[in-house]
Amino acid sequence: MTLNLPTLWHDALEKVKTWARVNSPWLIHYNSGSCNGCDIEILATLTPRYDAERFGVKLQGSPRHADVLICTGPVTLQSKERLRRIYEQMPEPKFVVAVGSCAISGGVFDGCYNVVGHIDELLPVDMYIPGCPPRPEAILDGLVKLLRSLQDGQIERLETRPLAT
Amino acid sequence: MTQLIHLLFFPGGLFLLALGMGYEWLDRKLLARLQNRQGPRWFQPLADTVKLLSKEEIIPQGANPWLFIFLPVVALAGTLTAALYVPLFGLPPAHSLPGDLILTIYLLSLLTLGTGLAGANTPNRFSLVGATRTLTQLFAYEAPFLMALLGPAIVAGSWQISIINDFAGRNWLIVTQFVGFLVAVIGLMGKLELPPFDAPEAETEIVSGALTEYSGRGYALFRLAKNVELVVGLTLVASFYLGGLANPLAFILKTGALLLIIVGVQTLLTRLRLDQTVGLWWRYGALLVLAQWLMIVLAKII
Repeated sequence: MTLNLPTLWHDALEKVKTWARVNSPWLIHYNSGSCNGCDIEILATLTPRYDAERFGVKLQGSPRHADVLICTGPVTLQSKERLRRIYEQMPEPKFVVAVGSCAISGGVFDGCYNVVGHIDELLPVDMYIPGCPPRPEAILDGLVKLLRSLQDGQIERLETRPLAT
Repeated sequence: MTQLIHLLFFPGGLFLLALGMGYEWLDRKLLARLQNRQGPRWFQPLADTVKLLSKEEIIPQGANPWLFIFLPVVALAGTLTAALYVPLFGLPPAHSLPGDLILTIYLLSLLTLGTGLAGANTPNRFSLVGATRTLTQLFAYEAPFLMALLGPAIVAGSWQISIINDFAGRNWLIVTQFVGFLVAVIGLMGKLELPPFDAPEAETEIVSGALTEYSGRGYALFRLAKNVELVVGLTLVASFYLGGLANPLAFILKTGALLLIIVGVQTLLTRLRLDQTVGLWWRYGALLVLAQWLMIVLAKII
């Protein structure tokens, strides 16, 4: 549904929407074949010590409620369909964050007989957080940088890029 | 004209939504401080709501689209209407009629019924399990909660909220009816599905219960309805048991103190299984309130 508003109102509305998106990113976390190292660090990020709720970050159970898909690990043949289905279940606008070396390049699992490859071969990734595993500070830093680039208008991706097959 | 202002701005409508978001923030912030965290910023509920409203809404295949769209609206409308009959912000209720206590309690149940129906409407196994749990819990807490609120009504000799509020202003009923107060507070927590009664939306087991398939607008409306219900429920219990609500200052202090108690219980206890929840209310809550009723009636006769 599109509304035809005067430019001034349209711009103001877009500003409010961007402000809300920047201040309330809800996560969903999916492990598509990692060794669990990155997952433990992601959980540590959400503990009271690092308190991600300061930035409005909340971990959601349902893909329908989430804005940011946090993936760890290489994509195995078995989890390929599931990862894509989770991504497709999320409502627009949605963002993907790849956490850890394996999610970025396949890492030590690259070339394995049961591994499709890294996350970028399957989904459009918006932010890469390197490390094996990255520290919770690095994950928070990556999230904040993603939000900042969203605020500055560097990511403007309301239409989904075609997914790789 | 005044009717329209009552409905749209004060005490219904915008003011109530803002107050609901304020109380949600207070709830989350206090919870965070009790867990030794910093907690969300003050505009967090507003940002969440605006973000959800601006997101895509997906209507799943196999769900009845009309029900899917209108159930959140019905839930929010029910709770907003209920607010017109309670002494919100310490001011006399916008509308008052004999027996409006029963009306208010049933309007407040619309949210739970709406959530349950919404879960049963979507063909997702998690929302189906969530709907079953929501409705089971509804049957568990509704009767004891209603009975706990009828205790003050019996003493005051009226089922009209404003008259009970005036009566409670002269007598602190928490002293004479302590059991009723406890059951009312715990019933309110069950109504709002707060921990330890959050089995209907247990994230670790059933994703997020009945609302799993809701995204965007529908989810935002359900969240707003829950916030409004928090305010209305706190107002009801505070005005009945904590010495009435005669002015805005009393409203803020008394509902704030009640919220502090609720947050403390949330922090201390872990989630109960559904059979434990039902057992707690029917085996202890309902029986204790019945015993208290008996004593009130005996005292009235003698």
